[in-house]
Amino acid sequence: MVGSPLMEEEEDMYLDLFLDPYTVQDAFPPAMSHLFSPRAPLDVYPLNLSNPEAVFSPHFGGVKETSSDFSSVDLSFLPDELAQDSKDQAVTGNRHETEQSRKTQDQQCQLQLPGGEDSGLSLNNGSSPGSHAHLYPGGAAFNQPSPEKSSSDSLPVASIVSMTPMNPVPECSGIVPQLQNVVSTANLACKLDLRKIALSAKNTEYNPKRFAAVIMRIREPRTTALLFSSGKVVCTGAKSEEESRLAARKYARVVQKLGFPVKFFNFKIQNMVGSCDVKFPIRLEILALTHRQFSSYEPELFPGLIYKMVRPQVVLLIFASGKVVLTGGSSERWLCDLGQRFRACISGQPAEGTLENHLSKWNYSSLSLVSTMVQRHNQQPDINPLSLERNLGKSSPYSLKAWHRGYRRTKATRTQISGFAGGTCL
Amino acid sequence: MPSGSRCPDCGSSELVEDSHYSQSQLVCSDCGCVVTEGTLTTTFNDEGNLREVTYSRSTGENEQVSRSQQRDLRRVRDLCRILKLPTTFEDTAISYYQRAYQLSGIRAARLQKKEVLVGCCVLITCRQHNWPLTMGAICTLLYADLDVFSGTYMQLVKLLGLDVPALCLADLVKSYCSSFRLFQASPSIPAKYVEDKDKMLSRTLLLVELANETWLVTGRHPLPVITAATFLAWQSLRPSARLTCSLAQFCKLANVDLPYPAASRLQELLAVLLRMASQLAWLRVLKLDKRTVVKHIADLLQHRHMLVRMAFRDGTAEGETQKQQQGEQGQREEAEDSTFDVLERKRPASPAPLLPPCMLKPPKRSHPTPSVSAVTGDENISDSEIEQYLRTPQEVRDFQRAQAASQAAKSVPNPP
Repeated sequence: MVGSPLMEEEEDMYLDLFLDPYTVQDAFPPAMSHLFSPRAPLDVYPLNLSNPEAVFSPHFGGVKETSSDFSSVDLSFLPDELAQDSKDQAVTGNRHETEQSRKTQDQQCQLQLPGGEDSGLSLNNGSSPGSHAHLYPGGAAFNQPSPEKSSSDSLPVASIVSMTPMNPVPECSGIVPQLQNVVSTANLACKLDLRKIALSAKNTEYNPKRFAAVIMRIREPRTTALLFSSGKVVCTGAKSEEESRLAARKYARVVQKLGFPVKFFNFKIQNMVGSCDVKFPIRLEILALTHRQFSSYEPELFPGLIYKMVRPQVVLLIFASGKVVLTGGSSERWLCDLGQRFRACISGQPAEGTLENHLSKWNYSSLSLVSTMVQRHNQQPDINPLSLERNLGKSSPYSLKAWHRGYRRTKATRTQISGFAGGTCL
Repeated sequence: MPSGSRCPDCGSSELVEDSHYSQSQLVCSDCGCVVTEGTLTTTFNDEGNLREVTYSRSTGENEQVSRSQQRDLRRVRDLCRILKLPTTFEDTAISYYQRAYQLSGIRAARLQKKEVLVGCCVLITCRQHNWPLTMGAICTLLYADLDVFSGTYMQLVKLLGLDVPALCLADLVKSYCSSFRLFQASPSIPAKYVEDKDKMLSRTLLLVELANETWLVTGRHPLPVITAATFLAWQSLRPSARLTCSLAQFCKLANVDLPYPAASRLQELLAVLLRMASQLAWLRVLKLDKRTVVKHIADLLQHRHMLVRMAFRDGTAEGETQKQQQGEQGQREEAEDSTFDVLERKRPASPAPLLPPCMLKPPKRSHPTPSVSAVTGDENISDSEIEQYLRTPQEVRDFQRAQAASQAAKSVPNPP
């Protein structure tokens, strides 16, 4: 449909707009109601959400890959902000036609075409009425999922392209989860007389009818342990792995002082729970749609989204406020990753590890502006999960893209980036 | 030709239904052997050659399926019929139940869990066909606890590895709104409260869409939002007559249960509408409050995309990183302001951030960053520290005596 030299131009134009956040401010077409009915957008937009690689390939693969993906998209329907000046007339011409057709179709929604009135109030050039018109078909989509396919095709392209690049962030910065709880087990390798322990130690609870273990607590580090008659110990409540180990040793010492021949074997961290705050709101329904195989979002049951990440094996509870709880992490890899990040970010490079610097690096305002715009278009997941995935080392296409987006791109560096495509992310 | 039935003599599957005078017979066309005679049979073999008996009515099922499973399968069917679901849903739900029953975890579960499992299967079927059915509805039908239901549901989805799509909000709005008894005049409903269904439905849809856009739906139970939106839509269609009616009264009139969070959703939605109204020049003059804004909902919805963008700045960071945006918006505000300078002395407040309400509330307690503790885990543990946790022998004896005394006191009944 569009020849390949034209594709190059288009691509450059997209790249420029992609890189420069301030040309695409409020000029964005307004939200669509397809947030409602997840089925409708998948019908209306041929660039389906499960295949974002197709859209991102211009950034990595070169022109050839993109031509096949963009051939189905009618690029003449791009809103004015992204189109070159020369294409303006063609675009607005088309748009007025579609406006007329929208008007006749839109009886069901009580939407009079606000294009005319709104243009007076908006900052945009005269293109916005047209772009408004584009999206009312989307608004009507769940009533009439009908023939507006071609015009809406452009929107996923436009919206994706407009995401702000992130400045390159060093490996270890980013949102650092704070450990809240570490659960570990150890083996004391001797049979314990629970009654005697409960009698001779002050800091214990023992109710054999309720639970067959002694519950012991120590003040420093503030932890709780379950001591079983087989000699196994479960230690909970510590804020770090080292604290957990120290606490477990203290429990062993207490039992040793009571006269049992204890040893300290098989100390193992079983679970780690951390929490963090990405400080911007997250559209859980869109995240659930795009990461369907990993997420479980039931607002009727629980306000958060349960994201079961595969590599590393952690479960995240993601809330709309941007707060995230991470758990799982019994595998050594997560431990190492987390431990490393903690140590390096906290001890070594304080300036880069903190959240505030991270945010300012990301040029926060434009990022979140664009991210919410993107949310409205229901084309892409919120940028937020990408950052989480990146930090936890998951190698999904999204995380790679987020990484690449961090580089300010010029033509010269494009090759450099395509070289990174094969590399590992954090 | 029934599939699977063969002639016992020659093994051919070419069985023809041929009647000998008035008696219907199933005859093998190869060897002529009469396979079955008549429709009443006494042997299990003969039954195998009968045609087209539904599996649930044949004896075969009863022998392979346990009684509790049969009962629950019947319950699944009944539930589907009560909910007036299409017949295909029934079969899907039954198949899910049978698959679930084969899992050992479910087969050995308590009866309460199996009852709830019936509802889970129906719910999953409805979700997969985008039929709007809430968990609350199923729980009331089953007289089940939502906690038990949620546990069983999550377990089932995980074990069967099902992909259950989200609840379709638009369909839920339509079905929920249609259940409001306000569309026809009746002795209990005054004429001024009766409303046209389509108008109310379309306005409710717009309001719910607005709520979705402004973060009022994410993470929350969808139904209270829809209740609040329906109430506002109903009020705004004839504000003069209906402003006096409260949310609770409205739900009672409409014969619909009022969900508890609906009141706070209503307040949040009104706050959003007020913010939007502050951006419309002709409404800013009127100094609207929560009651009077209802009259202008039609206007606000008409320009909602524009107004939401203007009324809320996108972003969560306060202040310094938003200088450029704020500068621009400030200019815009001043431009609008100049025309109404005479009437309004102060500038309208800078746009509020578009955030979920949970982020707008002040944090309950400050989260101090934990100090970096240089614990290595291999430090020496002093004896004195451990000894603080142990009882001296004297203390042990005292404790034992006290325990014995309390046991004795417990065993002796209190004198009246």
